[in-house]
Amino acid sequence: MKEQLYVKNVTVQYKGHIGIKNATFSLKGGEIIGLIGADGSGKSSLLHAIAGVERFTGEIIYDDVSYHNPKEAQPLKSKMGLMPQGIGLVLYDTLTVKEHLDFFADIRNIPIDDTFKSYRTKLLHMAGLEDFIDREAGKLSGGMMQKLSLVCTLLHRPKLLILDEPTTGVDPLSRIELWEILDEIRKMEGSIILVSTAYMQEAQKMDHILLFDEGEIIASGSVSALLDSAKAYTYKQTPCEDGCITFDGRTYTRKNINADHVSPTLEGLFLINALQKGKTLTSMQISARQNRVNIPEIVMEAKQMSKYFESFIANEHIDMKLHRGEIVGLLGANGAGKTTFIKMLLGLYPIDEGELYLLGKRIQSGADRRELKSKIGYVSQHFSLYKDMTVGENLIYFATLHALSKQKAAQRIKSYAKALGFSEYLDAFPRDLPLGINQRFSITAALLHEPVILFLDEPTSGVDTIARAQFWEILRQLKQQWGIAILITTHYMSEAEYCDRVVLLKEGKKVADASVAQLHATHPKAKNFEEIFLEYYR
Amino acid sequence: MKWRVIKAYIVKELTELIRTRLIVMVYLMPSMILLLFGYGIRMEVTHARTIILDYDQSHFSHMLTEKFEHSKYFDAQIGLMSEAQALHQIKKAKADMILIIPASFQKRLLHGQKSEIGLFIDGAFPTRATTMESYVQGVVLQASQEAENIALKKGMIVINNRNLFNQAMRDENAMVPGLIGLVLLVAPAILAALLIVKEKEKGTIFNFYASPVGKGEFLIAKLAPAFLLHSLNIFILFLWATYLFEVPFRGSFWLYWLSSELYIFISLGIGMLISVVTRSQIAAVVMTVIVTLLPGFLYSGIILPISAMDKASYIEAHFFPIMYYNHILYDTFLISQGIASEKIVLYLGVLFLYAVILLGLGTLFLKKELR
Repeated sequence: MKEQLYVKNVTVQYKGHIGIKNATFSLKGGEIIGLIGADGSGKSSLLHAIAGVERFTGEIIYDDVSYHNPKEAQPLKSKMGLMPQGIGLVLYDTLTVKEHLDFFADIRNIPIDDTFKSYRTKLLHMAGLEDFIDREAGKLSGGMMQKLSLVCTLLHRPKLLILDEPTTGVDPLSRIELWEILDEIRKMEGSIILVSTAYMQEAQKMDHILLFDEGEIIASGSVSALLDSAKAYTYKQTPCEDGCITFDGRTYTRKNINADHVSPTLEGLFLINALQKGKTLTSMQISARQNRVNIPEIVMEAKQMSKYFESFIANEHIDMKLHRGEIVGLLGANGAGKTTFIKMLLGLYPIDEGELYLLGKRIQSGADRRELKSKIGYVSQHFSLYKDMTVGENLIYFATLHALSKQKAAQRIKSYAKALGFSEYLDAFPRDLPLGINQRFSITAALLHEPVILFLDEPTSGVDTIARAQFWEILRQLKQQWGIAILITTHYMSEAEYCDRVVLLKEGKKVADASVAQLHATHPKAKNFEEIFLEYYR
Repeated sequence: MKWRVIKAYIVKELTELIRTRLIVMVYLMPSMILLLFGYGIRMEVTHARTIILDYDQSHFSHMLTEKFEHSKYFDAQIGLMSEAQALHQIKKAKADMILIIPASFQKRLLHGQKSEIGLFIDGAFPTRATTMESYVQGVVLQASQEAENIALKKGMIVINNRNLFNQAMRDENAMVPGLIGLVLLVAPAILAALLIVKEKEKGTIFNFYASPVGKGEFLIAKLAPAFLLHSLNIFILFLWATYLFEVPFRGSFWLYWLSSELYIFISLGIGMLISVVTRSQIAAVVMTVIVTLLPGFLYSGIILPISAMDKASYIEAHFFPIMYYNHILYDTFLISQGIASEKIVLYLGVLFLYAVILLGLGTLFLKKELR
């Protein structure tokens, strides 16, 4: 492979903060390189610099052409393909799939000959989009949008393919299909493929990975080499005071402790890096509810609930019970009806068919629904915080919405801030804080009125490993201390294992409702939960 | 410069405009502004309630009062009351003005002496008051011409100056051409601003950033649909003006058409500059409206003719393209000097410069990178 990419001392700087600092590495053709790290760790900045869409300092050489700014990169753009982060970001909502293909072929000036036509058909076939050729992009599911974006990026057969989190927010099945396309392209075209991802499991599919943390590349190498390097710090789960992080059944520490070594996971690499910087998990302690409520055994029950959008069935006769002190994972592919279902439970959508009971009382009238809303805490996918108000002001605003008195609100905010470890950020603006911190006070905002149920819509997407570990610790304590029922959606299959029960939705119907252990029993061949999930969808 | 790339973008823009129904705005907004303002703003004052206190009761004074009584602009009432009572009527908003003819009015005139007429006008709405004042001056002038003894007062020429090319004194003739200048400044600018900033907001701008598409190709492709769609508005607005508002069209249609196309380029240039610096559609629209609508309205000559402005605003008016275009517009509609006038040729040149500079700046500032 002759074409090579050299990245030398690349730094991307924004007003006031650094995107990526002194990134240096080089790559051969035909390799898939993974960029792994949390949101804001510098992956996008680096990818944008390489794609020539962002100003940077340092030098990048591709195909023997050196460039130092976007302008110098212009002649290389015909050989590059960039798929930026965000579901369906580069698609035009009102154009159909076919119109997208024509548009991208035209702006890339690809000759429309038989070779192109057969290549295009092949891509469409790989992406499973043949039957949706006349559908408008805005009406595709998230997974399909990402596959269409990828197809559009691949049309001109780029030799340098830059994909920024193509799989974030995409269900496992679509993720696997996206990876199959990439693998095929690598074999067919011999391209360099740079992929960033927040899913550690995907690292296994890469030839070489770069780990990112706080704007720096903290490690690079093949997956096995990196895992080997972490082995010395990984032990079986052991109680350990300070200088240790326990996560996923393993204890990571740089000290010598008296326990057996086990094989680390990739998440462990970040934890070890955190330990190296002297960081540990802040201990969090949720105190008991202030208002004692008597929570019945069954907190919420949905009976045969359905939702229709014109002729489209979003939810069909779904039964579900939420028990006291239970964490239920609501899983399914993009477009399976998870969000619609949660919105009905929240009282945001009217229920077309079926019955909903809260604390034993049926929800029917508008007053019932108001009552319903006062009992529910909700954290949306994008953490609905006001960007121009500080964290403290945001929280006071949410407290006021729930008619809490000023003193009570101030006192609760203070105690949560202490318990969840964000006291020092109360005067900061949400946009200046890492996603993990935002996530913690989003959940605070949802807890201020002490609800009996908590709905969480993909709260962990894009959040770094440590923050996710802490987030699940908060949920565990809430369940124990408050007896609250929690319904959570996620695309991290490993998180399903922390749920007491999982409900799987497929095309608007419930296909499974059982504990992870029970599912393992009924699917003995599956090695992990992801495989069980896929068995339902294949 | 690849025609295929440009065509692909243009087809995409038009498809999007139609499917997002934005096309409705392209054609609805200009006509709506024209109709709303064309019917909504009335400079003309009719039926001004006038109390006439005639202390002279002579031939000349009757000649003058008759003029007021027979005019559609005044509802004259020969008052039998004191000045104080009459003033009280204005305070109670029962009258708009009082005209006082002094006792020795005719005698003084016949002796060739200066005579003064008292005029009190309700100045609560200054523009309306000024208009009424000028009407009164007009009536007095007319009456004094009829009287053989001509006693011209200085300052009366002003009325003539304003009404010269609008003999009918029709508001429509004064308003509607000016409004065309306003509409063609605001509407194309908003559309052009939206077309680029919408891609930034959505993220599809990456298709431009990350592909070999050139800046020139991108801009032509973005501006061409806005230009073509709004070119049709030149004709639509013309038809509204001449058929609905019955504004006479005396000049050259070619001049009207070509200068309007040139003017649309300026508007597009403004929109493009704004969309280069803004990041969200809402900011772009608000900024475009502020930058185009306000000065456009002030300096269009609708509210006040440029020539009648005081020094500061007179100079300020020269910074905005609408002044130059509206001069040409009023010429083509009402005056018809055409390119025989040096001023019009000069103004066409100024418009051309504006277009070149604005489009040039937009191209210069547009960068193929995130910021």
